[in-house]
Amino acid sequence: MEKQETLATRLQTGERKAAVEFVDKYYERIYLYMRRLGHSREVSEDLTQECFLQAWRHIGQLRSGRALKSWLYHIAGNISKLYWRRHGERGDVSLADVDIEASGEDGSSLIEHNEQLVRLRDAVGRLPLKLKQTVILHYMQHLTIGESSDALGIRKGTFKSRLNRALKALRKEVK
Amino acid sequence: MEQDKLENLLNELSDRTREPVRPGLAGDIKGEIPRDLSRHRGGLDTIRIMIDLRVNRLAAAAVIIATMVVGITFWPDGVSNSDSLYQDGKLLVKYLLKGEMATGKNMLAGLPKTSDFFQDGREVVYYGEGVEKGDKDALMMHWKISEDSYRVIYGDFRTEVVTASELIRLQAKMLQRKAK
Repeated sequence: MEKQETLATRLQTGERKAAVEFVDKYYERIYLYMRRLGHSREVSEDLTQECFLQAWRHIGQLRSGRALKSWLYHIAGNISKLYWRRHGERGDVSLADVDIEASGEDGSSLIEHNEQLVRLRDAVGRLPLKLKQTVILHYMQHLTIGESSDALGIRKGTFKSRLNRALKALRKEVK
Repeated sequence: MEQDKLENLLNELSDRTREPVRPGLAGDIKGEIPRDLSRHRGGLDTIRIMIDLRVNRLAAAAVIIATMVVGITFWPDGVSNSDSLYQDGKLLVKYLLKGEMATGKNMLAGLPKTSDFFQDGREVVYYGEGVEKGDKDALMMHWKISEDSYRVIYGDFRTEVVTASELIRLQAKMLQRKAK
């Protein structure tokens, strides 16, 4: 797997092949991020495309190669916010519309477990946007604390504080 | 619920809410990759190179202004390049404010709006500090237009298109001047 720094450097020199690799590496993650932020399938596709368009336009502003992933997530977050602003806050769908894939196992404990997952999914969906983003970036998109805070353009401390508040709220709802 | 259990559930939720992406989405995105990804970075890079090389400020300003003039000529709407042009502009002002602002304006008037400047990533060759402003015989910079055809700019900001052999003669003259 190519290091982010190398890919960023190649992108900055304008290498087209690097741009193709960049799309292959990140388009699914950005699409899922959009879905988890509550956009419909169709809108998530449009916003994913828009995210990469913005990335091409602003590639010259990318400063540190290590920040490539969080830089792309930062763009994605802004595009999502802009969409909500134009179309009404969460006027689309919520995380609750993202299906939970069925597990192949059976049994009452599994049913209970799945119910817990559904409750958790709904609870994440109900979180205020700022808190929801922290949970999605860190636990669902698997970004580190540093990457997540960069993606949101906030300090690590602020991110941790928001994440703690989010987890506290989730703990209350999912017992 | 304990923190660990909640974190495990969130991780599981991530896996279980992963849905397939429409085949063809990646292709659609790739279809939007611009032909020249780095074209809008020309001005900024030029400034950096000039500063790094510590070249003559006036001549560097001429190149920067020319880049911006061409940028505006090419992209009058400034949709995709507005940010980078703005950033270039800020750097330019900062750079020029160290002095010679008035001369910088004169240069802008004197420079041709050459549409082939920086197009397709052509490389501009700059001849350094040896060039005095107004020196009509000094070669200040050149770039390739096509096979055996080069645009040159002299110290007095006069411009012309020359062949490869003419360019070599001009370069030889520059080398002789430096050797003196």
